Amino acid sequence: MSAIVHFPLFGLLLTGAVYAGAYRLHQRAGRSPLLTPVLVSVVVIAVILQLTGLPYAEYLRQCLLLTLLLGPATVALALPLLNNGRALVSSWPAVLVTLLVGGAVSVAITVGALTAFGVDTSLLLAALPRSVTSPVGLSIAQILEASVPLAVVLTLISGVSGAVVGPALLTLARVRDERARGFAIGLTSHGIGTSRALTESAVAGGWSSAGMVLNALAMTLVLPAVGMLMTS
Amino acid sequence: MSRLADLPPLLLGLVILVLAQLAGLGIAALLHLPVPGVVIGLVLLVIAGALRPTAVLTRLAEPAGAPLLKHLQLLFIPPGVGVVVELEELARSALPIALAVGGSFAITLVLAGRLLQALLRRQDRRRGTSGGGADGEAAA
Repeated sequence: MSAIVHFPLFGLLLTGAVYAGAYRLHQRAGRSPLLTPVLVSVVVIAVILQLTGLPYAEYLRQCLLLTLLLGPATVALALPLLNNGRALVSSWPAVLVTLLVGGAVSVAITVGALTAFGVDTSLLLAALPRSVTSPVGLSIAQILEASVPLAVVLTLISGVSGAVVGPALLTLARVRDERARGFAIGLTSHGIGTSRALTESAVAGGWSSAGMVLNALAMTLVLPAVGMLMTS
Repeated sequence: MSRLADLPPLLLGLVILVLAQLAGLGIAALLHLPVPGVVIGLVLLVIAGALRPTAVLTRLAEPAGAPLLKHLQLLFIPPGVGVVVELEELARSALPIALAVGGSFAITLVLAGRLLQALLRRQDRRRGTSGGGADGEAAA
């Protein structure tokens, strides 16, 4: 058993196999956001690591290939932005104002609530990039010297809650414009929310990916400064 | 296998994405920017796609970019599993985290949605309702 677990590609094969299973389950179950493949896979793999006694650090080393692909995947986020380029440019004042106001409110509430509760700075720093799509959020967490796994998990939670309650919340607030709905979802719940917005309509999905990428760019510029203020 | 016929465009796309990433990393290191190099790579690719002579680059990147974006979540499973390491910290501060993450999420979502809807509506009205707006006209 231990020979199998310590095989250098074990982590990669395990992750691929579990993800493939979780992906199929998600499709079969009518794309329920609660069964988001990444969430299911994380839980299953965490249990398997516990059962086999494979240390997390070694598992992470075995998944090096996936970590290496994060870079090109982040760069590829340029593509959805370009596909929606014309609509975005023609509405740039509205998009810019929403981006700035939304980003400022999001950061202010996160910092405000966590400081009010007197949480550790380390946790606060990990919570800052939570609305940013994970590949960029990960780099921001590294720059902030925050815990990367914690930041990733908070990001996942944010994305899943966005996919689960986001559309209903927007309907409740009487936001009916597809463009506004998509953009708001992308701004707050990045990739996972975007995949949900895509099921509403192509327009909502396109504006959602645009919201996600623009938010990532804005937060890259803003969060290191906020982090410096928090730790000084 | 027919899959093999797809391999060259996929590899070419991957090479373009990695080159953009490398260029971004180089620029960030040379100029001592506090911005992650990958984000600069992203911006470089957007600029390349917006300019006509280099727009072909983004078309060539598409065969690698599309599957990467479709299964982006797969890449976050390894760091996500790391939460078992952080479980204690997370449980200790469960309430503040839930309030901060949930609260900022819900308020930002509704605010951004309503604000953009109002702004877009004003913009569409000013341009005249007859096909002035983007493809989202049918929404209301």
